Amino acid sequence: MMAVAVLLPLISGILVFLIRQYQIRGLIVVLTAIALIINSILFLKRGPFEYTPEGFNWGLAITVLDYVILLFYIYAGLSLRNWLVLIFALTQIVPLAYWEFGMGAHVELEPAFVVDHLAVVMTLIISIIGSLICVYAIRYMYDHEHHLHLEKSRQSRFLFWLVMFLGAMNGLVFANNLYWLYFFWEVTTLCCFQLIAHDLTKEAINNAARALWMNSLGGTAFVLAMIYLYVNHGGADALSVQNIIGGGISQAAALLPVALLCFTGFTKAAQLPFQSWLLGAMVAPTPVSALLHSSTMVKAGVYLVVRLAPAFSETYLGIMVALVGAFTFLGASGLAISQTTGKRVLAYSTIANLGLIIACAGINTPLAIAASILLIIFHAISKGLLFLCAGTIEHIIWSREIEDMEALAEKAPVTTFITAIGILSMFLPPFGMLLAKWMALEAAYVIPLAAFLFILASAATIVFWAKWLGRLLQVLPRLGRKLESLSFSYSVPLWLLVIGIFVIGIGVAPVYQKFVHFAVNNVVAAEKVFAEGWNILVPGVSAVTAAPAPAAGAYPVWPLFIVFAVALLLPFLFLALKPHELRPVYMCGEQVGDTDTDEWLTAADQKAKIQLGGYYFQNVLGEAALNPWVNTIAIALLLILFGVVLGVVLK
Amino acid sequence: MNQFWIAVIAIIVAPIIGGLLAGIDRKITARLQGRWGPPIIQPFYDLFKLFGKSRIATSRMQLVWIYGYLVFMITCLVFLVLKLDILLLVFLLGFAGVCFVLGGFSCKSPYSHFGANRELLQMLSYEPVLLLTALGIYAQNGSFMISEIFNRPEPLLASLWPIFIALLVILTIKLRKSPFDISTSHHAHQELVKGIMTEYSGPYYALIQLTEWYEIVLLLGIIALFWANPLWVGILIALAAFVLELFIDNIAARMTAGWMVRFSWAIGLVLCILNIAYLYLMKGVS
Amino acid sequence: MGIIHTSRIKSPWIMHFDNSSCNGCDIEVLACLTPLYDVERFGIVNMGNPKHADVLVITGPVNYRTARVLKNLYAQVPDPKMVIAVGTCACSGGVFHNCYNILGGVDKVVPVDVYVPGCAARPEAIIDGVVLALQKLAKAQGVAK
Repeated sequence: MMAVAVLLPLISGILVFLIRQYQIRGLIVVLTAIALIINSILFLKRGPFEYTPEGFNWGLAITVLDYVILLFYIYAGLSLRNWLVLIFALTQIVPLAYWEFGMGAHVELEPAFVVDHLAVVMTLIISIIGSLICVYAIRYMYDHEHHLHLEKSRQSRFLFWLVMFLGAMNGLVFANNLYWLYFFWEVTTLCCFQLIAHDLTKEAINNAARALWMNSLGGTAFVLAMIYLYVNHGGADALSVQNIIGGGISQAAALLPVALLCFTGFTKAAQLPFQSWLLGAMVAPTPVSALLHSSTMVKAGVYLVVRLAPAFSETYLGIMVALVGAFTFLGASGLAISQTTGKRVLAYSTIANLGLIIACAGINTPLAIAASILLIIFHAISKGLLFLCAGTIEHIIWSREIEDMEALAEKAPVTTFITAIGILSMFLPPFGMLLAKWMALEAAYVIPLAAFLFILASAATIVFWAKWLGRLLQVLPRLGRKLESLSFSYSVPLWLLVIGIFVIGIGVAPVYQKFVHFAVNNVVAAEKVFAEGWNILVPGVSAVTAAPAPAAGAYPVWPLFIVFAVALLLPFLFLALKPHELRPVYMCGEQVGDTDTDEWLTAADQKAKIQLGGYYFQNVLGEAALNPWVNTIAIALLLILFGVVLGVVLK
Repeated sequence: MNQFWIAVIAIIVAPIIGGLLAGIDRKITARLQGRWGPPIIQPFYDLFKLFGKSRIATSRMQLVWIYGYLVFMITCLVFLVLKLDILLLVFLLGFAGVCFVLGGFSCKSPYSHFGANRELLQMLSYEPVLLLTALGIYAQNGSFMISEIFNRPEPLLASLWPIFIALLVILTIKLRKSPFDISTSHHAHQELVKGIMTEYSGPYYALIQLTEWYEIVLLLGIIALFWANPLWVGILIALAAFVLELFIDNIAARMTAGWMVRFSWAIGLVLCILNIAYLYLMKGVS
Repeated sequence: MGIIHTSRIKSPWIMHFDNSSCNGCDIEVLACLTPLYDVERFGIVNMGNPKHADVLVITGPVNYRTARVLKNLYAQVPDPKMVIAVGTCACSGGVFHNCYNILGGVDKVVPVDVYVPGCAARPEAIIDGVVLALQKLAKAQGVAK
């Protein structure tokens, strides 16, 4: 099982790389996807277990590969003449080499892998959503290259990195040995670098280099954390994740390395002020954005923070983590309002939601952790879907600009419908994202400042999503429009994700009771289950008396879905307009012709098209206006975070 | 089953109250302007007349959103009368608002787009304050359930009066009264055609009116929560707040959208934050 | 249909359109809305938008350019609808009837229900015109649907 999860993607990746035939390559990807999905469900069935691979010196292999990757970074830094890449590659490899060879560190550890419920949640997301995105990529890359008129196809290379990445992610979430976790971490960084640079334009390579050095900065913090733990807390045993969070090392003693690891998580999750690499990554082909930059790889960052949450419960570090996350939520949401490109809006929204998840981990009550895990799940589905939609739209109109998506509902009704579902599921009840946000807010009162930031951010969220959705759904009622046909490789992942949104959205309470609750218990002891039947229920806090405490909050799930269906889906399906009931919009009577038209007569009876644009508030909320403030505050928060931690350590 | 009937009665009674309030609004406004004004039940005449007009629309998309606006507003009201979670109620109210905005965006009309963009700014202004109100109620009660408000003997107004004042500002925005009738305005106010409502006509415009009536009742209901025991005091307070809004409406000129956002964030948010911070410091983490 | 029919008569929303008048009648139309005449007593409200209107109040003679606009606005008023031509010019073209750019009265372009002559038409006359239009509507029950 473990071998399938980690090694199968690597093997398939190599096969895909070698076989240059479109059909066979596609078949391999699809078969791998099916195998991974079945395998992840087996993980779910089997439940928690520990595992150490035997029969081969895996530790040695990992060490060797680790140095290969780091040497490659140095090579990349030299060949691109990017000194930041070079510096942060050296800051990783030098301490690592000194530690391993100079100090003779021995980092073999049993068990090497621990599969608990939280890891299973992650592997389900990686295997199911990741596989769907890989399937989508088969056709997408074909169209992409067709559009670019490439002479020599680079699809094999692309699919190799994409498929191989799934294995690295699986390894990352299962790894118990921090050193192994570091290796998988570096592999994901490498995949990220290769995939962003895939198109080999100047912009792509620059942005890839930026992603590389920022993540290498995080990697450096990771290396330092490992060395600190190893040196100060008794060798290899201190590198066991379970040991750190299970109280094997006292909380105060482990605080500094945990803070460093959280910092690593922040860089991977592109928290402010590291947001620029994720935004730059949007130049990559869209499946990359969907897989790495929204639904899985950046989730590694938040996974690490959530995983380590017990190690900073009830400390000032926890409060600071919550504030960094909450501030990122607000800053990124505000910046998203000013964005004119669809993918950049998605990127900012991803950063914002990752911030929310990290803030929940910082708040660190059972309810907050439940919210963060639900957010990870729902965000992966919705954002994966939205990126795939953005890719599909790009291949229909060959543009990423929101303004160009005007009236897309006429050109591509099916894609627009799916995109609309995706956008609605990001910020509106009854869908899961809002449910999780609601839980987060109910939990946030412990840190009122975080709650306040949540609230402002949540208001900003409405603005940018509604603006975009409004643009998509603006229509001129041309009767008899045709549905566009999407290739299977597009439509199967899209529809499956839509179904996923509804199924998990409606069934969130049973899913929570049977499954997520145990994952929450992996992080923080939660006796109470926040679900009852089909509803989510937050028990009251004053549960000292024998009588059942009144609930502090309730979210009736399926009644709200019925309301949603009655309000939007039923009218959408059954409401029809007869042709004579259609009238053109009010244009002071100056339309050209009488019926459906968007032209009007200007001075001297010249015809002109109506042109409408959204508000973007560039001068108030634009990147140029906000970035200095936002980045300064974010850096200040990080400094305070480390200051607080050092204060504890030095005392 | 009892709850079911409460919900049904609320759904039937609320528009009647809302319509009468709208009639009183027009009458008082007229009197303030030295006019006689229409009969109190004039809004009902308008409503039924609109229902009787022929159905015309610019597209199907528009109609879908208008049903969403109505249904989600009714859901909010049901949440209020069944005393459910107030935080979720605010989120649902947000959905209703988004539906309205999307309805405005759904046709290629400059007036409607203007209105929709401004309505978004209105949402940006009021949404945080409403959420903070829910948070303030949690700070006081340790619960987001409205039923819990009724279980407490002391009124919320005693400890949450700054939030109450902020809520009055929000009420002006939400009811689209001057100086905040940014996205659209009502009778006897002139407006860029009709803002976000420009493209709705006949029965569909009637649905918007109906939704607005539900909204009036819902918002006044939330105001009334501030003195929930006994509830009649709360209702009187809510009615007083409504009349106050009418006076403000008639003495104020319309302001710009940017000013609205700045004002509601500067006054509303600061009041809310001070209130919640005070409660937090006094009570500690619950 | 009883209640809807009553409501139609109780709530005529007017939209005022000026073809190419001298503005005399326009001032009188607006005078109706002032506290002195206060037509809101009868539920009459001035709308800026044909989609919300029941009664089109049209002033001034129709010229070639406004004819097109008038047609478009008329089409956007949902049924049942009434058209009132206010002022002599709107009724027949008035002193402008033989100008090179004038088509004539409003009825050259859209069907007119009530003619309110006068130069300018008095507010009382305009209100009376609306009442006449409503009476006509009351009689024509079930026809305009």
